[in-house]
Amino acid sequence: MSEVLSEIANILSKEHFMENMVGIPLLQPVIDYLINIPLIGYMVAIVLWKPFFALLIFPGLLTLLVVLLLIIWFERKLTARIQWRKGPLEILRWAGGIIQALGDGLRYFFQEVIVHRDSHKPYFLQFPILIFIPVLLPLLFIPAGSVVAITSPYSLIIVSAIISLIPVFIVAIGWASNSRFAYIGTIREAFMYFAYEIPFIFAVLSMIIVYGTADLTLIVEKQTIPGIVLNPVACLLFFIATVMATSRLPFEIPEADQEIAFGPFVEYSGIMFGLVMTIAYEKMYIMALLLSVLFLGGGNGPALTILGDLAPALWLFLKTIVVMGLLAFLRSIYARYRLDQALKISWTSMLKLSALSLAFGIVVSFAINNLGWLT
Amino acid sequence: MTEKEILLDVPVSPPTEMFIPIPKRFLEKAYKDDDFVVLVGPQHPGSGHMRIILRIRGDVIVEAIPDPGYVHRSMEKLAENRLYIQNIPLLERPAIMDTGNVTLGYVRAIESALDIEVPERAKYIRTIIAELSRIGTHLYDAGILAVFLGHTTGFMWPFALREPIIEALTRMTGTRITASFVIPGGVRRDVPWDVLEFVRKTTFVIERRLKGFERIFIRNPSVISRLKDVGILTKEEAIKFGVVGPFLRASGVEYDVRKVEPYDAYENLSFDIPVSDEGDSYSRFLVRVEEISQSISIIRQAVNELRGMKEGEVISKALLEDLSDISEVRSDIRGYFYKIYGNLILPRGEHTSLTEASRGTLLYSIVSDGESNMPYRLRVVTPGWYYLKGFMESLKGERLADLQAIYGSFGYFPPEADR
Repeated sequence: MSEVLSEIANILSKEHFMENMVGIPLLQPVIDYLINIPLIGYMVAIVLWKPFFALLIFPGLLTLLVVLLLIIWFERKLTARIQWRKGPLEILRWAGGIIQALGDGLRYFFQEVIVHRDSHKPYFLQFPILIFIPVLLPLLFIPAGSVVAITSPYSLIIVSAIISLIPVFIVAIGWASNSRFAYIGTIREAFMYFAYEIPFIFAVLSMIIVYGTADLTLIVEKQTIPGIVLNPVACLLFFIATVMATSRLPFEIPEADQEIAFGPFVEYSGIMFGLVMTIAYEKMYIMALLLSVLFLGGGNGPALTILGDLAPALWLFLKTIVVMGLLAFLRSIYARYRLDQALKISWTSMLKLSALSLAFGIVVSFAINNLGWLT
Repeated sequence: MTEKEILLDVPVSPPTEMFIPIPKRFLEKAYKDDDFVVLVGPQHPGSGHMRIILRIRGDVIVEAIPDPGYVHRSMEKLAENRLYIQNIPLLERPAIMDTGNVTLGYVRAIESALDIEVPERAKYIRTIIAELSRIGTHLYDAGILAVFLGHTTGFMWPFALREPIIEALTRMTGTRITASFVIPGGVRRDVPWDVLEFVRKTTFVIERRLKGFERIFIRNPSVISRLKDVGILTKEEAIKFGVVGPFLRASGVEYDVRKVEPYDAYENLSFDIPVSDEGDSYSRFLVRVEEISQSISIIRQAVNELRGMKEGEVISKALLEDLSDISEVRSDIRGYFYKIYGNLILPRGEHTSLTEASRGTLLYSIVSDGESNMPYRLRVVTPGWYYLKGFMESLKGERLADLQAIYGSFGYFPPEADR
């Protein structure tokens, strides 16, 4: 009994956390000072413990919040630039209205949440919150250099599987809303789910064949040549699947606001609408992270000794932001496809691309293993 | 004295049944065939102020019933209580960006009743204003079409492009959109040549900027795939359902009031009527894009003609007979407006005019009793009202998502149709 207790005490001790700490040479003097203060030192040790750091700071909660605030602002600002407008400006004027999304979020907080009579009340209120489980879980498996919450030989497969769960929750949201437009939007969401899921799985599969592993940490290590060069077809496929999965234009079909007024989310108001509105952006963040890890070399980049373990995190963050910016840019150049056209694109040309990328992956994998590439 | 609470025994209960203007037969048929009834509008982001009642089988529209009238402002009835001259700003309201054409029809009906000859210079100025409004309206409709397809850049660019046109109208008429510039017997003021030069330069700006719009929207593959072969009206159908204007010409019928019964300066100007044979949404859009370039050419020709003309005569002499000094009034009506037009009385009978407004044929019919200075009855039939039937017919057999594409391709504008 006492052995178990001492084991637990050992696990929870400051020294145990300090063994696996994020090393940041730039902040080391500050950390050294803080770590010796009794209570604060313990908290600092926990936060800087690598698995917890991944969960809390990067790529976890804090970065997700910052990205959510930034990407909505960036998307609106970029679109405005292209359209000869100014975009968000009035909130924090000297910074170009950068906290506009925060202001909108606060506004949602003080608005009434209307639950209409015909809705299935428990599910209607639960699902926008429950959907955060599949949205946030993949973040545990994304490695930023040595900062990663869970390492597993199956991490890529787990991430793909959890991402595939998100549409199920959106369909459930539409069902609980019990309205005509939500119903049509839900059906569209289900159709789009089938449209992108197979190309997405094929793209992931061909990359697993190329790298010979499904461990994301190993995948990043193996990318002396980035994946986009090893298998450009899979990268293209993954990108289009991302556009479809996150309902960006030209595939903004389930939420087409001119046709079905935000589809599954039509009945939500107040902070509940704020929550469901961010789902697509959170999904976009995860997919962009996965794309960066699989095809753009993840945390690989020029070494910055002063940042220590934060350097890979910085590179991964920058790559993700670039990918997300690209996705945001699509909004201002494309019109929306019709559902049947999107399905046609998916089940013909994208399926062909899937076969091609798989073949490409097999050839590259053969070249890596037998001809000695990537050594 | 203390206040006493008084209880009134009046039972108030909320309504239990909602009124929906659907025929019973329609609902029964939908129930029997296992169809889906969808009400689009009247406060829907993609339908304007109109309700469209759809019966849908799967994803395909089987039947469409329009429920217009949400922005009905009783223009015809209001016109019966106003002087003839006061009706001009009133009748401008249904389609405010189409100011030139909408007022032109009414004014021409009055002119034909009174048999007034319009000075040559005024005719050309009217033509310029009409064509500027036509470009503005077509750009407005292109923007609405773009936002219906989810293309926000295609929405913002034409609206920004309208700005030079509005600026040109401001310099000519003094106001941005509701100009009321066309009056019986001519126009309100003469337009100096430097303003005409500005108008001519504006056409080059529009032409240049339209090329960018063409790259991002008109030739965009996703736009073409949404509009091509959608909402087809054949030549026979288009004639049968009474479609007018560019939408009739998109179905292959070469009919334009400007060519058939030329008015104002159109006789002396050379221009083509863009016609397409497909009759689908994309050709309905392209015909109007082509009309913009034709309008630009018309404006340039008109400005060139005006250059060689004597300045200062823009109001018909016949109207100014009672005035002592007419030379000043002929170039600017300011200050004499009600003196000249206050007691305008039309001869007894019905006076009709046909105009080619931006969205199609516009009919004005004034019934006068011959003794009052207000119309006895005024009939306005706007192009939107003419082609509503064709619009509804072209929806049949298309997908629900195509509703917005077809809507935008017709440029249906509820305030104009409802009057």
